[in-house]
Amino acid sequence: MWFEYFTNGKHMAWYASVRFTLIAAFAGAALAIVFGLLGASARRSSFAPFRWLGLAYTTMVRGIPDVLIFLFFPLAFEQGVEWFMAQRACSATELASGTWPPCADAQWFLSTTEYLIMACVSLGLVYGAFAANVVHGAMDAVPSTQLESAKAYGFSRRQIFWRFQVRQMWIYALPGLSNVWMLLLKATAFLSLLQIADIVLWAERLGAPNYFARAGMLHPDWRWRYYLVLFLFYILMTVLSEHFFKYLEKRAGRGMRLNEGSSSV
Amino acid sequence: MRKLSISAALAAALLSASAMAADVRIATEGAYAPWNFMDDSGKVAGFEVELGNEICKRAGVECEWVVNEWDSIIPNLVAGNYDMIMAGMSVTDERKETIMFGDEYTPADPSSFVAASAATIDMANASGLKIGAQGATIQAAYLEANLADGNDILSYESADQSVADLAAGNIDVLLADTSFLEPVVQGSGGALAFVGDKVAIGGGVAAGYRQEDGDLAAKMNAALAEVKADGTLSKLLIEFFEKDLWAEQ
Amino acid sequence: MSDLFTNFLASGFVGDVVILAKPALFNIYFALASIPFGFPFAVMLALMKNSSSGLVSRIARTYIYAFRGSPLFIQFFMFYSLMLAFNLSHWKPMGIDHIVMHPLFIGPLVLVLNTSAYAAEILYGALRAVPHTELEAAKAMGMNRWQTFRSVVWPNMIRLAWPAYTNEVIFLFHATAIVYFTLPVINEQKDLMNKAGELFERDYNVFLHFSVAGLYFLVISLVIFFIAGKIHQRLTRHLVPTDRNTMSMKPNFMR
Repeated sequence: MWFEYFTNGKHMAWYASVRFTLIAAFAGAALAIVFGLLGASARRSSFAPFRWLGLAYTTMVRGIPDVLIFLFFPLAFEQGVEWFMAQRACSATELASGTWPPCADAQWFLSTTEYLIMACVSLGLVYGAFAANVVHGAMDAVPSTQLESAKAYGFSRRQIFWRFQVRQMWIYALPGLSNVWMLLLKATAFLSLLQIADIVLWAERLGAPNYFARAGMLHPDWRWRYYLVLFLFYILMTVLSEHFFKYLEKRAGRGMRLNEGSSSV
Repeated sequence: MRKLSISAALAAALLSASAMAADVRIATEGAYAPWNFMDDSGKVAGFEVELGNEICKRAGVECEWVVNEWDSIIPNLVAGNYDMIMAGMSVTDERKETIMFGDEYTPADPSSFVAASAATIDMANASGLKIGAQGATIQAAYLEANLADGNDILSYESADQSVADLAAGNIDVLLADTSFLEPVVQGSGGALAFVGDKVAIGGGVAAGYRQEDGDLAAKMNAALAEVKADGTLSKLLIEFFEKDLWAEQ
Repeated sequence: MSDLFTNFLASGFVGDVVILAKPALFNIYFALASIPFGFPFAVMLALMKNSSSGLVSRIARTYIYAFRGSPLFIQFFMFYSLMLAFNLSHWKPMGIDHIVMHPLFIGPLVLVLNTSAYAAEILYGALRAVPHTELEAAKAMGMNRWQTFRSVVWPNMIRLAWPAYTNEVIFLFHATAIVYFTLPVINEQKDLMNKAGELFERDYNVFLHFSVAGLYFLVISLVIFFIAGKIHQRLTRHLVPTDRNTMSMKPNFMR
């Protein structure tokens, strides 16, 4: 049957590899929120070195392409871990040998799982800086009257920050965060650069011309068809995300005065 | 906060899954038929996969296949993401500086040029041509050293991509292993044809190991010798290449 | 002190800065070649989106949505393989396939298609924000549509869109990093990512090579930002300071 081609193991592996894209997107987004909150609170800190750190973080991310950080972070983290392992496991002569890693015991095996986790952290790091900017702006948008009332009630500075400013800022941050999510979602296309067999890698393998009968159906270069499917897949994801965020904004805007909830940061 | 604990649980689940690692992890490209490829069931298959599995069985180790893109296959071996490479990799002095090779499982196979059959190409006086090869291969190095003058050399991420560009007419000639090109020329239905003389580049094909992994290499070499001696290797060669490459020596 | 200095010169850092200078030119080329075509195309798309004709507006909306809603990485793969698929039958007879399939041509082409969608959205936003009072004043003075566009809509649109457009240009420059992940490399035509990766594969010093490549991107981004800031000053010098929209080198979420 004609559709059997689309249900063979290779295609099934392609469909199943969507999980990597989705895991990276959701876990990356969760981490981006964490880094965003950390970055924003660093930039508002009364302790100057924290502010500089926050500024350095956001400027670096702003000036360097996401794909470079995406490749750099896992490699650097791996070497960092191996350096620590080497300090404990390798002898002094091995450490001085100048080869990398110095000895076999300091070898850290990376499989798809480790790469996926590091990809999530990389995405979190990059888009956390964007989220930090959004969160920072949203915190400023929280009406100062609310914070002043909190102060009048005797809440401490820290309590005011976490219980009022952070809690109230989400509604103002939502439009910006939705934009950051869209950027992050599109960046999940880079997973194959970290040797993860994601949808992009499978599309390439499925579409590549095949002239060897044992490798399956013989066909010329079909890659553009598979990439077209990915193109449409990402557009579909964007449509779904847009609807979700619209719903979220409507929900979060309940109980807000007219126009207050819909103002973008 | 709930989101966080979910992703933490997810990470833990994934980590425990990867804890059941095999004894030896073998990397291959999975895009270089008949040597290694992804078959229609979505698994890695090919001459090297069957040979590798046979060697592992004889050596009494459990092996796992890892698919890795060609251009980073040596760096990721050195970085320790897997223990062994079986990816149609020819032995060269340059590669020997970074990795160690086991015994050769196929002899040196001269590379061939292939072009559109309609084109008239004189490889003896090549000039003004667009010549393609897969990047980081012995063929790419050969082109750079011998044919870069007066020609454009295009390097591709995978061999399949270079074939696609040749078939579409984006490059005039492609240089690759003869063993890889033979099914391509056969399967092209007369559209592609070999041109010029074969060129001898590099040594035979062997498995690659990290330089400090001498024990693993010795164990695998012993198993390979067994596979060679009892005729299993030539059987596999005939199965995938339609001829015993060793017999032609 | 001089010892420290000679050590610094001999370090890989300086060597990398020298080696990566030429590859950086390729990234700059890709961005510079895309802007002169991307900007007019974006203006056209923004005007089309704002058009009163339903069909024209819908075409522009769909285009902008599709190119903003999918990764550039996929767009590169898709366009390259699409053009390969139609190369023989379509391009070859005209004898220009050599240029068309060249990364130095197809790279900027896809970047133009991509960046114009983002820039069009920015310009469309600015178009909608042109002060109504000024439009009414133009009408009262009896200006026709072209005169109104020329003297009211256009200057306002450019001034309002400038900070966001600068942001988009920096994104575009960063997007040049993925060109050679998707296209074949011809001879020694390699960009920063390509060359940094090549250097890394020699000695596995990820910190040195990728940091220098990152530094090039950072510095060039800051230069773009600085030049754009100067132009912005000129564009808004007639306004009272409180009416000027500000520019800042922050991770701007708008893209």
